[in-house]
Amino acid sequence: MLTLALYPAAMTRRGALVLLLVAGLVALGAGVYVGTGGRFAADEARTAQPAATLLALTLPDAAGHEVSLAQWRGQLLIVNFWATWCAPCREEMPEFARLQTEFGAKGLQFVGIAVDDADKVRQFAAEIRLNYPALMGGYGAMDLSRTLGNRLMALPFTVVINRDGRIAHTQLGPLKSEQLRQIVAKLI
Amino acid sequence: MAALTLGAAGAQAPELLEPERAFRLSARPLDATTVEVRFAIADGYYLYRDKFKLGLEPGALAGAPELPPGKLKQDDFFGKVETYRGSVVARVSLAAPAPGAAVTLRAESQGCADRGVCYPPQVQKLALTLPPAGAGPGPIVEFAPAKKSWFK
Repeated sequence: MLTLALYPAAMTRRGALVLLLVAGLVALGAGVYVGTGGRFAADEARTAQPAATLLALTLPDAAGHEVSLAQWRGQLLIVNFWATWCAPCREEMPEFARLQTEFGAKGLQFVGIAVDDADKVRQFAAEIRLNYPALMGGYGAMDLSRTLGNRLMALPFTVVINRDGRIAHTQLGPLKSEQLRQIVAKLI
Repeated sequence: MAALTLGAAGAQAPELLEPERAFRLSARPLDATTVEVRFAIADGYYLYRDKFKLGLEPGALAGAPELPPGKLKQDDFFGKVETYRGSVVARVSLAAPAPGAAVTLRAESQGCADRGVCYPPQVQKLALTLPPAGAGPGPIVEFAPAKKSWFK
């Protein structure tokens, strides 16, 4: 009885494994192909496509207004995945707000994508007088952050997109003020 | 995609554990009513007490799960919060005994690493068999973390 009941599940799993194997070989082949195309081609594949996915996003803010990231194309864009339940996330955000004030007019834009409830996001944003958009990403945002290199879908996770629309830096865990200022000074 | 995954893995500090390895779940049915739930917490990691949600299915629970007091920590935003380090043992009980019944433990937990990284809430399920009436505790069942992908 048990064997019979499990059989279709086992078949599905085996089918999925074969699919994964094929996909893996194709991906490896693509990797080799890109590799022979030179370093530029590899960089292009690694940094342009995921950045484009991010720049194509439209997400609601904590008040429910839709915000499109495409409006900041051509600027130095720093996208920070965060949540109020993540203490290290909250700790680094006041420094982000300071840099937004300092470099906003020169073309720096921070965008927060929260994996959280809207009311908590509103409350925290008011508390620290957040001066850049706090968008609501939900758990879909975590999946997106995974495609950007956040293998464990942990927070905070920050992606720096340069003016050419390429990922210049990704960071899992807090960005130290000094490191962040170096990045901004180099790319602004 | 392969290039992205490999590149990203190289850019991260390698030692951060997957949440199910940082917080290792196991459970043991104590009798026909109660299940003991344990998280073994790796060094440098902690779990939040108020983020725990424990349930047994099917059946109604006798009440809120028993969770030991944690270590008090002052949080700027949430006020006083309690955290667990090392390990935590909780108990969850059904409202009515179900000797010999197959039950599913649903354990939701959320924690962080000291290096400044938090994991999203994690839901894990364990299939358990409650012991027959009058029998001693059942065996310890450990949550088996998923195998690593070939590309990691």
